[in-house]
Amino acid sequence: MSNSDRRSVVLAGASDTIQHDHNHDGIDRRGFLKCMAWAGAGAYCVMQGGVLKSYALGSHGASQAKGEISFVQISDSHMGFNKPANPDVAATLQAAIDKINALPQAPAFMLHTGDITHLSKPGEFDAVDQMLKTVRVGQTFFVPGEHDVLNDDGAQYRERYGKGSQGSGWYSFDAKGVHFIALVNVMNLKAGGLGSLGNEQLEWLEKDVKNLSKSMPIVVFAHIPLWSVYPEWGWGTDDSAQALGYLKKFGSVTVLNGHIHQTMQKVEGNVTFHTAMSTAFPQPAPGSAPSPGPMKVPDEKLRSVLGITDVNFVQGKHALAVTDQTLSG
Amino acid sequence: MTLKLLLITACLLTVQALGQSPSSQSTQVAPVEVKIDNFSFSPATITVPAGTTVRWTNRDDIPHTVVEDKEKFKSKTLDTDEQFTYTFTKPGTYSYFCSVHPKMTGKVVVQ
Repeated sequence: MSNSDRRSVVLAGASDTIQHDHNHDGIDRRGFLKCMAWAGAGAYCVMQGGVLKSYALGSHGASQAKGEISFVQISDSHMGFNKPANPDVAATLQAAIDKINALPQAPAFMLHTGDITHLSKPGEFDAVDQMLKTVRVGQTFFVPGEHDVLNDDGAQYRERYGKGSQGSGWYSFDAKGVHFIALVNVMNLKAGGLGSLGNEQLEWLEKDVKNLSKSMPIVVFAHIPLWSVYPEWGWGTDDSAQALGYLKKFGSVTVLNGHIHQTMQKVEGNVTFHTAMSTAFPQPAPGSAPSPGPMKVPDEKLRSVLGITDVNFVQGKHALAVTDQTLSG
Repeated sequence: MTLKLLLITACLLTVQALGQSPSSQSTQVAPVEVKIDNFSFSPATITVPAGTTVRWTNRDDIPHTVVEDKEKFKSKTLDTDEQFTYTFTKPGTYSYFCSVHPKMTGKVVVQ
């Protein structure tokens, strides 16, 4: 059975039109989740006029499905890592860049959700900066991972990527009517704790969104997940509830994270949480291994567990369409 | 008899020369080893006499740090096979963690 046949079989079982619109916001949660669940096959879901439409990436339909804004997320490039799980993280980062450059529509910009480097070494930052020069995007926005702020409390990270940011590197910007918020939750971590935003950043966040219209779509990006994925492994943020409280009024909030090196999604009210794959190495599913360290997979399988995330927003009262693509095929 | 006495004395003198002087302040005792692996410190809790040197070795394939909760001691980032040592001169309980992966915690009880 060909790939496209398989996709149509999956789609045939569920309707693409809104059947349950409990929140009266034009989103059928079940339909949306269905779309995101098999998006790993390389499909592209777009909400248009309240209807979920899906297209195979690269097909004629996909290039027609122009959203108001499209951007791409990569994460956890860990430049400098060289253990068996992936002895050549530069090669897989290049594969991710090639994937981005092959998208039917050049993304407006790219988000890197942290762990740019593995050991915060200047040479590692330099290597990534060099490679990202070839990405066909307008601009790249960063947030740091815990591997980017080693030894110097993030001084080097901020020197390179912190222009216009405050505190440990938080900032916000608007693009095509969408408000983007970059948060830092890898600083001043406390013993036994999870990720942490801290009071200064939370106060800034409250002010930042206070006067925004509730119909403005919000995208938040930060390294460590802002929901409790698996606290035993540190996969969560201690004070994220307070941050999400400030965003409660908004009709559409998309949270993009990294850190866990696998895709995971959750919908909670008007908030859609999504984590990206790494471009360097995978990590085990929660609780499936003694620890969350780099997971070795057979060499031929590596690129199928690494990837990028493509995000598309269509004007309207909808959530953003989030699609994950692996580096294989 | 005299020979036996001589031999015993010789043995005792040799042992004393080789052994440590109990009243010495120098740390001639081998360091107590703590292994860092699989995102954990093991043993997680150790109890040592004052004057002990503890040595942490990172056997994990991810970098870690060793930081006392109030920063009484703080290692640089340890990549695989790198080590950090600290000599505990004052009695007390020292809780520490990995500042990169704060769920990793350990304790040194110094008596």
